[in-house]
Amino acid sequence: MSILEKLENVERRYIYLLAWVFVLFPLLFPLGLPIPIGRESKAWKEYIENIPSDSTIIVSMDYGVSGMPELYPMTVATMHHLWTDTASKNFKIVVIASWNQGPLVFDTLLDQMNPASTYGVVYGEDWIELGWIPGSETGMAALATDMWSQTPKDFLENRPLSEYPIMENIKTAEDIDLVVSFETGTPGLPEWLRQWNTPYGTPFIVGCIGVSVPGMAPYLASGQLDALMPGLTASGEYEILIGRPGLAVSGLDAVSMSHLLVVLLVVVGNIAFFASKSKGVN
Amino acid sequence: MSLMTLLPIWAAVFFTLAIYSFLYGENPWFRFAEHVYAGVSVGYAVAFNLDYLRDQWVNRWSMSGGMAVLYLFALAMGLLWYARFNKKYFFLYRWTLAIVVGTGIGMALRTVVFTQFLDQIIAQARIPLFVSGDPLQSVSNILLTIMTPCVLLYFWFTGGARETGPMKHIAKIARYTIMAGFGAAYGYTVLTRFSLLIGRSQFLLGNPPNPPEAKMAFITIALVMLASLIGYDLLKPKNI
Repeated sequence: MSILEKLENVERRYIYLLAWVFVLFPLLFPLGLPIPIGRESKAWKEYIENIPSDSTIIVSMDYGVSGMPELYPMTVATMHHLWTDTASKNFKIVVIASWNQGPLVFDTLLDQMNPASTYGVVYGEDWIELGWIPGSETGMAALATDMWSQTPKDFLENRPLSEYPIMENIKTAEDIDLVVSFETGTPGLPEWLRQWNTPYGTPFIVGCIGVSVPGMAPYLASGQLDALMPGLTASGEYEILIGRPGLAVSGLDAVSMSHLLVVLLVVVGNIAFFASKSKGVN
Repeated sequence: MSLMTLLPIWAAVFFTLAIYSFLYGENPWFRFAEHVYAGVSVGYAVAFNLDYLRDQWVNRWSMSGGMAVLYLFALAMGLLWYARFNKKYFFLYRWTLAIVVGTGIGMALRTVVFTQFLDQIIAQARIPLFVSGDPLQSVSNILLTIMTPCVLLYFWFTGGARETGPMKHIAKIARYTIMAGFGAAYGYTVLTRFSLLIGRSQFLLGNPPNPPEAKMAFITIALVMLASLIGYDLLKPKNI
């Protein structure tokens, strides 16, 4: 068997092993590769920085544990940014989830960030977690018309919403100034746009996994979406922009190396394919 | 560190590696992890749903007789989902299905024309061909203005109509555009898959804020699992 034929028929296990090596090596021995800042992460930072004072913001955890590797770092960074500004700008933050594992992910975030002691924000006054909203798109529509009916109690303390001062003026979508959604699929942006953005004009920003980016881009271009955080690379850039390097930044060397591997494999595969093809023709 | 803290970390490492062991080949570790994962996911979802139903009953629907009747009706309709498992009563499942599908379509249709059709056409029509000081954006906009109508026309004209007159050239541009779109989608898919691997690798290596104890668990379990996989490979009958 010639080298070209061998290259075309490499055992897939060796490719997987190579992928692990390319990912694990930079995680064990950081390479410090340069991180250029993209326009998406800049736009995200600027958008959050320019949220008007006294805004009421919904943060929607529209992903489960399987989406954590890509979305969790950007969720942490964004919550850090929002909670840091909460005192000076008097934000009211309502955390919900249209995926049932969303509250589980947010529990992990709370354990890590401890907002009360780190940012001085008060649960029930500055922010509240309402938990999972079932029903997918119909659930979103119902939430828009009557939040209190959809979630009579909060998620963290399991007490009636009437006991929390933050909920006093939050009843419907008209009381919300911005929705920040982190999502991996359906229900996600199209459902939010159909039930919140179009009927109520609620502004939207979305953090999504890489697979979803081509589907999201038209909404960003049309202005229905105000900012888009596409995947782990943009998360890392955003962490640098806000001066809080975290999981995403520490993974960026591995991202670069893994992409390098993919490019190498595509090039080698194509060379082998075309070379053996021309050899066969000759 | 207490056993109750270590146990979940070791379990998480074990299940991560067991799932990834599929890359080596089909094996008992993977099958075990796959079944546990499916079971836990479903169990979690059921528990969450029941919890929500209870909250709704206690805090809202039990307040008056009329509302209680409506709640019980909705509950009964929900239970009809399970009629699909019985041939005799299968038709009852269709009632619930009809309500769910009908409600969903009704909800979506009231705004889908604006959200995903008219707004997109308006945005396309408003794209400026030239953006001063940003040549790349100008090129992008010009390409977008040419390529989007080409793809629409490609699906408008089918069969032989695509091969005649100007449609021959338009169809070619459309095919390139579609391939570029698929390429972008594939590229992002690869990016996401690697991001998942990187996230799990960070956990396995105990990179902060992941628990550092995961690293020892990773080395131990990986070695044991690899040895067992090779042993399983060698011992299993060759004709299977």
